[in-house]
Amino acid sequence: MFCRNVKLQLHYTPGGALAMAIKSPLYKIQEKLGAKFTEFAGFEMPLQYSSIREEHLTVRRSVGLFDVSHMSNVWITGKDAMKLLSLTTVADASKVGEKQSQYTVILKEDGTIIDDTIFMNLEDKYMMIPNAGMNAVVTNWLNEQAKKHKLNAKAEDASRDFVILAIQGPKSRETLQKLTNTDLNSVKFFGCQYDNISRVPCIISHTGYTGELGFELQITPNKKAEGVFNKILDAGKEFDIKPIGLGARDTLRLEKCFMLAGNEFHGGRSPLEATLGWTVNWDHDFIGKEALLKQKEKGTFERMTCLMCVDKGIPRHGCEIHKDGRKVGIVTSGTLSPCLNVGISMGYVHPDCRAEGSMLDIIVRDKPLKAKVVKPPFVPKDWAQKN
Amino acid sequence: MANEVKDDLKYTKTHEWLKVKDNKATVGITDHAQAELTDIVYVELPSVGKTVKKGEELCVVESVKSVSEIYAPVSGKIVGVNKKLEDSPETINKSPYGDGWLVELEIKDKSEVDSLMDAKSYKKTI
Repeated sequence: MFCRNVKLQLHYTPGGALAMAIKSPLYKIQEKLGAKFTEFAGFEMPLQYSSIREEHLTVRRSVGLFDVSHMSNVWITGKDAMKLLSLTTVADASKVGEKQSQYTVILKEDGTIIDDTIFMNLEDKYMMIPNAGMNAVVTNWLNEQAKKHKLNAKAEDASRDFVILAIQGPKSRETLQKLTNTDLNSVKFFGCQYDNISRVPCIISHTGYTGELGFELQITPNKKAEGVFNKILDAGKEFDIKPIGLGARDTLRLEKCFMLAGNEFHGGRSPLEATLGWTVNWDHDFIGKEALLKQKEKGTFERMTCLMCVDKGIPRHGCEIHKDGRKVGIVTSGTLSPCLNVGISMGYVHPDCRAEGSMLDIIVRDKPLKAKVVKPPFVPKDWAQKN
Repeated sequence: MANEVKDDLKYTKTHEWLKVKDNKATVGITDHAQAELTDIVYVELPSVGKTVKKGEELCVVESVKSVSEIYAPVSGKIVGVNKKLEDSPETINKSPYGDGWLVELEIKDKSEVDSLMDAKSYKKTI
């Protein structure tokens, strides 16, 4: 047996190759909990604890706890911080009120995505959460642009100062509520604020990467995080909470058709190609806007497309997508859906071949696998109630 | 436990097992291998009648997020495949040495069997 671990492959090396994988400050406790580890973007993180399928279903049905400290933290400060964000992302930061966060993308001049990210308006300053290993790239880019456009704003990489926990699933709010006096119902979807969880200061946001009810915590200093991690596991006991690895994180996001930067944006893709046009606020100027407008006008670009397999089999990253024996696209992410028990994939497909309901072939080990174009997400919001 | 090794089988370094009876052999993956993979969700079986050389890809076993090639422990002709795995691949997790067998081979050269590891040697590798 030779196992090709296709799951969390990154198809680029962000920020250059790292000599040694960085361990999360929670490594020891994860090891005790029986985690199998994987290297992801220069970090040694839990891949799974029990099984990906079991962890996946725990999050869909109840609640799970993720350590996502591999993600980056960048402070953005200075009187022009808002202007810098508006310039360097497709969002108009002036429309993002205090205690709100925004999903967006950072573009190069040519309109291709450097990274997708969330930034939080924390009243006194902004925090941005770039992807794993993208801290240096994004921080440098923001500072370069600030200098070039004479903005009084500064980006500062604080990635190693924070442990990031994600509590996700229908029981996440009830679990976390036990550990804070703040009424968590008051933290709206994509809301964010400074708070305390079991008396440890943190930033809490009503965000996630699973498509379920969920919260994310940015905890500093690192040494306080282990206590919070344990407290959350205790608080969730009545709901059979489980620690969740990156394996299930990937299958959970893929069932909801969320992008994984290293897969979906690899090789230079624009937000229009990635069907992230909805994130673009066209009423303001931002880096990459001209290129996007040109692309939009032309209209002939490949677009992110969700394909659900009709035949048995599992599409994987890099599989070609064919129609009538002709290549019309490429799979960027694929897996077996633990909820639906069929192969699902995301990939870029020629604009003429992606109408909902169209049948295409995904080529897996030289054999065509019939798959149907579906509207995202693969797994609907009420799946757990119905299954 | 997830590292069971059966005394009456032969093993490869790549975690396949071989059970020899006369000139035929059954092939599967070891308990250790299934535990490493967890959640086996798909098996691509070869066609009956195909001949394979020792070390060549015999079939493919997939977990949720991994793809693993299973190699032929010895050369021979495929005379049977475990069709049941197409509908219940998780059988490999439940019974790697029993109902979770993969392929039956007609052995071409019995001396190749002798080159495989016995249970004691395999145990040392895991």
